Amino acid sequence: MNCEEYWNDMAGAEPAEGFDAHRAACPSCAARWAVERPLAAGLRLLAADMQDVSAPPRVEVRLVHAYRERYRQRVSPAGGTLRWWAAVAAVLLIATALWTGVRPPPPLVAANAGVAPAAGIDEEDVAFIPLPNAAALPQDEDVDLVRVELPRSAITALGIPASDDGGADSVEAEVLVGPDGMARAVRFLN
Amino acid sequence: MKPPESDHQLFERLRAGQEQAFVALYHRRQPSLYRFALQMSGSPPVAEDVTQEVFLALLREECGYDPERGSLAAYLFGIARKLLLRQFERRRSDVGLDTGAEEAGSAELADVSDPLADLTARERIEALRRAVSSLPRRYREVVVLCDLEEMDYAEAAAALGCPIGTVRSRLHRARLLLAGKLRDERHGSASVPAWKTARCAI
Repeated sequence: MNCEEYWNDMAGAEPAEGFDAHRAACPSCAARWAVERPLAAGLRLLAADMQDVSAPPRVEVRLVHAYRERYRQRVSPAGGTLRWWAAVAAVLLIATALWTGVRPPPPLVAANAGVAPAAGIDEEDVAFIPLPNAAALPQDEDVDLVRVELPRSAITALGIPASDDGGADSVEAEVLVGPDGMARAVRFLN
Repeated sequence: MKPPESDHQLFERLRAGQEQAFVALYHRRQPSLYRFALQMSGSPPVAEDVTQEVFLALLREECGYDPERGSLAAYLFGIARKLLLRQFERRRSDVGLDTGAEEAGSAELADVSDPLADLTARERIEALRRAVSSLPRRYREVVVLCDLEEMDYAEAAAALGCPIGTVRSRLHRARLLLAGKLRDERHGSASVPAWKTARCAI
């Protein structure tokens, strides 16, 4: 082991063999080692002392804000995040409407969501019901279709007779969500 | 158990708009970047600004990170270093100027006694903190990266934009300077007479 190898290996994670032998044979490296050993120990102490030092939390807050600003436009509208938020919003809107006892206009209108109906469901058999106080969807407007589960009582609350056939407590429904993220209409699939 | 995601994987996900990846990368890399900036500048507000700017740079469309040229950590430290250099140039507040006088004399190997002997742990830490902060910048940065942040030579070289051999030689020089500064401080404080305060009659 020459001097260069000695100091290169000293920087490695694992101590190499032959350190002692090299120092015994090399007064220069022995002298340098005598200086650096206590220094290295002191530097480890200093590093440990600063281990918990980090940027204040406000930096993270500002960065996350900047990140959202930067990437808000890049998240695909068809992506999962927006779709799930729309689903949550739709459920909340429907639940609010049912809770306040508002009834929708009686006629059932069919709307073309431009999407395929659920598997096993004939689209013509199932109509979308406009939600109370929801704005009308203009023609050719892009909409999202979100599938949710609602309590069976939601059917009767919207003025539709629900068959009491001993089925599940919840029903599957599809919610039309407008480009503003607000639910516009719902249709029940079972 | 699932292995943790690499920095590069987190980078790819954050660029795809996944905020969680950005936050995870921030939590992983922010403390060492902040400490580096703090040790180099001696100023918490500057360290805070630099840390923030480093991660903002990562969000830019053309951030300049190329995995072929080095790790993401090296890239982040490289950005931090550039920002700090800009700060130094603007404020001229670099405490350790690169003067030959500082290097001369301090790098002697004649005195091989432990420069930290007889000091308590706290005294050692404070003495070293002062000594590190008074090193010339190019030596201070290798000590902070390699000795305090335990970065390997190759990564430090990528962060500093210099060959590995330069990192090694600077580190060697830096340690000699540190030892000299610590010895000077001890001898200086030992040789200073105990001044007594006296009330001025004027």
